[in-house]
Amino acid sequence: MTDTHAANRREDLRLITGRGRYVADSNLPHQLHACFLRADRAHAEIVTINTEPALKCRGVVAVFTGADAIAANYKQFPNMMTFTNASGATILKPERPVLAHGKVRFVGEAVAMVVAESALAAQDALDAIAIVYRDLPVAVSVEDALAAGAAQLHANVPGNLCFEWDTGDAAAVERAFAKAAHVTRLTVVSQRVVPSPMELRGCLIGYDGASDSYDIYTNSQGILMMRWQFAALTGVPEEKLRFHLHDVGGSFGQRSAVYPEHAAQMIAAKKLGRPIKWVASRSECFLSDSHGRGIVMAGELALDRDSRFTAARYQFLCDMGAYLTPTGPASHVRNPAIGMTGVYRIPALHGNFKVVLTNTAPVAAYRGAGRPDVAYMVERLVDQAASELKIERDELRRRNFIPLDAFPYKTPTMGVYEASDFAGCLGKALQAADWNGFDPRREKSRKAGKLRGIGLSTVIEGTAAGMFPKDQVAIEFDAQGRLEVYTVSLSTGQSHETTFTEIVAQTLGVAPEAVTLRESVQGKNLSGNHSGGSRSLVGCGSVCKLAAQKLIEQAKPLAAEELELEPSQLDYADGAFRSRDGEKMIGLLELAKKLVGTNPHPLNLMAEASVGSTYPNGCHVAEVEIDPETGVTEILSYTAVDDAGIVINHSVVEGQVHGGVTQGAGQVFGEHAVYDRESGQLLTGSFSDYYMPRAGWIRDIHVNDHPLPSKVNVLGAKGAGESGCTASLPSLVSAVLDAVRPLGIQHLDMPLTPSKMWHAIQTAKAE
Amino acid sequence: MTKLELNVNGKLRIGEVEDRTLLADFLRDQLGLTGTHIGCDTSQCGCCTVHLDGRAIKSCTMLAVQASGAKVVTIEGLAKGDTLHPVQQAFSDCHGLQCGFCTPGMIMATAALLKDNPNPSDAEIYRGLEGNLCRCTGYINIVKAVKRAAQTS
Amino acid sequence: MFEFSYLKANSLSEAAAFVAAHPDAKLLAGGMTLLPTLKQRLAQPSHLVDVGRLPELGGIELKAGRLAIGAATRHHDVATSAVVRNAIPALAYLASHIGDPQVRNCGTLGGSVANNDPAADYPAAVLALDAIIVTTQREIAAADFFQGMFATALEAGEIIVRVLFPVPKRAAYEKFPHPASGYAMAGAFVAEMATGVRVAVTGAGPGVFRWSEAESALAQNLNVAAVDKLTLDATDLNEDFHATREYRANLAKVMTKRALQKMLATK
Repeated sequence: MTDTHAANRREDLRLITGRGRYVADSNLPHQLHACFLRADRAHAEIVTINTEPALKCRGVVAVFTGADAIAANYKQFPNMMTFTNASGATILKPERPVLAHGKVRFVGEAVAMVVAESALAAQDALDAIAIVYRDLPVAVSVEDALAAGAAQLHANVPGNLCFEWDTGDAAAVERAFAKAAHVTRLTVVSQRVVPSPMELRGCLIGYDGASDSYDIYTNSQGILMMRWQFAALTGVPEEKLRFHLHDVGGSFGQRSAVYPEHAAQMIAAKKLGRPIKWVASRSECFLSDSHGRGIVMAGELALDRDSRFTAARYQFLCDMGAYLTPTGPASHVRNPAIGMTGVYRIPALHGNFKVVLTNTAPVAAYRGAGRPDVAYMVERLVDQAASELKIERDELRRRNFIPLDAFPYKTPTMGVYEASDFAGCLGKALQAADWNGFDPRREKSRKAGKLRGIGLSTVIEGTAAGMFPKDQVAIEFDAQGRLEVYTVSLSTGQSHETTFTEIVAQTLGVAPEAVTLRESVQGKNLSGNHSGGSRSLVGCGSVCKLAAQKLIEQAKPLAAEELELEPSQLDYADGAFRSRDGEKMIGLLELAKKLVGTNPHPLNLMAEASVGSTYPNGCHVAEVEIDPETGVTEILSYTAVDDAGIVINHSVVEGQVHGGVTQGAGQVFGEHAVYDRESGQLLTGSFSDYYMPRAGWIRDIHVNDHPLPSKVNVLGAKGAGESGCTASLPSLVSAVLDAVRPLGIQHLDMPLTPSKMWHAIQTAKAE
Repeated sequence: MTKLELNVNGKLRIGEVEDRTLLADFLRDQLGLTGTHIGCDTSQCGCCTVHLDGRAIKSCTMLAVQASGAKVVTIEGLAKGDTLHPVQQAFSDCHGLQCGFCTPGMIMATAALLKDNPNPSDAEIYRGLEGNLCRCTGYINIVKAVKRAAQTS
Repeated sequence: MFEFSYLKANSLSEAAAFVAAHPDAKLLAGGMTLLPTLKQRLAQPSHLVDVGRLPELGGIELKAGRLAIGAATRHHDVATSAVVRNAIPALAYLASHIGDPQVRNCGTLGGSVANNDPAADYPAAVLALDAIIVTTQREIAAADFFQGMFATALEAGEIIVRVLFPVPKRAAYEKFPHPASGYAMAGAFVAEMATGVRVAVTGAGPGVFRWSEAESALAQNLNVAAVDKLTLDATDLNEDFHATREYRANLAKVMTKRALQKMLATK
C-alpha cells in the first residue's frame, strides 16, 4: 500500500461549497416540529404535570409526557456491559422512560415534548406546561453518591452502585507490594467533559402507517449500531426501522447510542401520522448530550530494588450520570482494564471498578473511552516514581518497557498486545523534541521569569474489538457499470470516502475516481461494526481490500470468457486482465460495463472478515512554559511519534492526531463539565463557560510515525483515531509538573486552569 | 409578519417572516441555503458566518428583518460556477476540514480576513479566526489553508 | 425567542418618542448582547427599535481635545479609524480586542456602554478617560454613569447619542481574556490625563472601578514598581469556579502593570 496525502478529499467538494447534508438540512413533507421541556432541577419527584395549557397554544398539535413513554414501554435502554463479577452479578440497569416519569434525576432530563407546526411555536408552548416537583436531596459527585445516607436515584440500584468488578490477581499484587523496595501512590481525576462536536444533535422521524414502519434521519456513527439499539429500546423490529444517514458533523463517541429523544419522536410520529423533526440547541446539548470521562482513579505502583515494576493496583470510580448509556459502562470498565499495564511489563495487576450513578447527565464513550484515562493514571504513577527515586523519566520507562521479543504479549488483565517497539518510539520522539537539549531552554525561560517544563508519555491502547463478529463489505455495480463500495461504517470526519476508495482503487489498479463509497445505506444486508473505537480502517477498511481482491478473482473467468481464453492464460495488473502474450486485454471496469444488464450484476460480491483489536502505541513529548504572573501555560512544542501500523493516508492520520491532541489539551488546561454540588445545576452550560480550544493555541504538532505492521488485518494498519487523546493527557500534565516540581509542587489535577496554576505557584512560593 | 428583501448571492430574494426569525434561519429554511450552519446559541462558534455588506457577521445573531435591504453572501455564493474561490480550494488542498460542519463559517471568516488583510501574520490569522470553533482539526491545517489562500488569492 | 414587533427608526427623535410611549420596547443597535439574551428567553420586549443605522448616532470626530464617537459606531470602525488611532490609540486597541471579528462588525459602543456588563471592555476606557455620555436628554459624567452590574444612570427611554472621550497625554489598555467567553477576566485602562494618572479596572468586580491606591502611588512615582508594591483588595471581587477573587485581584494588578508599561513606552 503506498501512502497518499488527503489533499483534496472526495468528500471536500460538497462540504466546502455548503452542500453537505446534515440532519438539520433534512426535511419531510408535512413535518411537525418537536421541542423538549427539560428538568430545571437535579433530583425531584414529579408530583403533577399539566399539559392542557400548552395544548391551547398557537400551532401546538400534541404534548407528550412520561405517561406516553410508559404506555409505549420505551424505558429499558440496551447496555453493552456484559461482564459478570465475582458474585455472579451483572450490571444493575435502571429504567429510563424516554420522557421522565415519576422522577427527574438530572438537570436537562427531557420531561415533556411539545409538537407543533413550527419550531418556534413548539418552543413558545414550553412555558405553558405546569409541573409541580417535590425536591429530593442531590448527589453530584461519585463520592457523594456512594456515601452512606446518600439520596438514592433508582429503587433497583442500592447505594447508587450499578456494578462492582475486579480484574487481575489481588493476592499476587498484595505479595508484591509487601516486599516492594518502593511504592508510589497517587489519586488522579479524569474530569467530566462535554464532547461538543460542532453539529447539534437532532433527528427527523417519519412514520408509515401502512407498514407500521419508521424512516429515521439522525446523526450517528453507523447504521447497525443504531438500528439494534432502537429495536432493543422500543421493541420495534429492525426491519421496520429504516435509517437515512448522511453527513455528520463530528461525533467522538457521543453519537454512537440511541437517545431518549429519538424514541419520544417515534411515539409522536406514530400517534400523529406526520414526520417529527427536532434539532437541539447548544444549551440542550450541554445539558443532555452524553458527557465524557468522569473517572476518579487511585493507583499504586510497586518497584523492586532495580526500579522494575513488580505490581500495580487501581481503583476506578466511574461516574455514569443519572442513567446508564449503552456505551458508558462497557467502555469505562473494559478499556481501562485492558490498559492497566500500559506499555510496561508489570507481572501482577489488580483493578477494582465501581460504576456509580449521580444526579448529572449520563456519561458515554468519548474519544478514547477510558483508554486516555487509564493511560493518564499509569503515566502519572511512572512519572511520580521517577521523581521519588530520582531516576530520569525516560530511563525508568526504558527499564520497564515490554521488550520487542516478548510479543505477542498477553497482559495480566485482558488483551494480547501485538508487536510494538516502545523504545523505538521513545527514542525517535526524544530526538525530534530535542529532549537532551532542554536544560538550557529551561534556564533561558527562568531568566525571563517563566517556568518551562518538558513532559512525555508512552502509551498504548487496544482499539475496539467490535460487537459484531464480522465486518462485511459489498462491491456492486450500478446501472452504468460504475463501481460502488458499501459498508456499514459512517464517517463523522474521518475521511472514509477518500481512504476506503483509495484502498479499493489501489488494490484494483484503477483511478480512485472510479470508486465510490456508500456508507450505512438503508436496505443493504450487511453486518459489521460502526465507526468508533478507532476500528473503521482496521475492520471495514481492511475488508475493502479483501473485497477488491475478491473482485479480481470473481472477474477473471468472466474476463476470460470475453477474451475467449482460459482463466489460467490471464494475468491481472494495473486495472486490466491481459493474456500472457500481451495480445489481448480487457480492463476490469470495461468488463463491468459490458456485463450491465444481468440482474444482479455478475461482479457484485460481498467480502467479510473477523478483525479484532489492534494496539496502536506511541510516545508524545510536550514542552510548555508557564507565566507565574497569570498562571497561563503556553504549549511551546508538541511532538507525536505513533505506531499506527501501515499508514494508508498520512494527511488523514496527521489530522486525526492534531484533533485528538487538541481535545486532550483542552481537557488538560480548561475543559470541565462542572455541576454545583448543592443544587446539581450545570454551571458550564455554554461556550461562555466551557473552555474550547481555538486557533493559535497549539501552533504546531510534529507528527511522525514509527510503524510496525499489524497482523490483525490485511492492511497492517492500527487504528489511529483516538491516540491523540490517550497520549496528550499524560504528556502535557507531565510537562506542567516538570515545570513546577522545582517549586515543590508534586501533584495537580486537571484542568490546569490559570487560576489553579497561579494559586499552586503562590502557595509553593510561600512555603 | 414582515416583508423583507435582500440580495443574496447576487440575486434579489424576497420573503415574509415573523420578526423574531434569525437571518440564519431565513437563509436556511426559506431560501434553502443550508450551507450556513447553526452550532451554538451564544454567538461563539461562528458556524453561521456570512458576509453582510462586505463584512463577516454571525447570521444567528441578526434578525432577518435587520438585514433587509442588505447584500448577503453565503458559502453557496463564493464559487463562480465550477471555479472554487481560492479560500475554498485552499481548505481542500491543505486538509483543513474533516467533518465539514464548521467549514462554511470558517471559509467565510477567512475570506473576510484576507479581504481586509491579504498577507496576515500568524498572530493575525489566529485573531482573525477567534470567532470560529472547530472540534475536529485542531486548527493546524486550517491555519495552513489560510496561509495558502493568502498566497493563491 | 418570545415574539416581538420590529421597527426600524427613521430618526433619533422617532426612536426616542417610541420608546417613551412603549415602556416594554428595547433598542436594537448591534444586537450582540440583546439577541443572545432574547434567544435564551431572558427578556420579553414588546418591540425592538432598530437604531443601528441612524446617522445621528454615527460619526467619529476629534473636536476641542475630545474624541466624539457616535453610539452606533461598530467596534471594528473604532478599531480601524485613523482618527481614533491618532488621537487615542489605546481606545482603538481596546475596540480591536472586543469579542471576535464577526462581533466587532456588529457590536456598538453605545450598546456596550448602556449594557454595562461587568466584564465588558469599554467601561474601563470611559471611566479612565473621564468620558462624557451624551444622551437624548443630558450629558452624564462617567463617574455618575456606571451604577453596578448591568445598571447605569440611564432613565427609561433615554438613549445614548455619543460618547465624548477626552484625549489623554497617553494611555494603554491590557486585558486578560476569560478562557471561554473572551470577555475581560480583568482589564486595566491606564490613562495619563492633565490631572494625573487614572486607572480603571473592568472584569474583576461587579462593575468597572477606579483603583485609587494605584492612582495615588503613580502620582508619587510614575513607574511600574509603584504598582508592584500594591495588593488590590480582593474582598468585593468576583469569584466562581473559573477563578478565585484573589486570582482576579492578581490579574487586575498584572494587567495594570502591563498597561502602564505599554503606556510608558510611548513618547
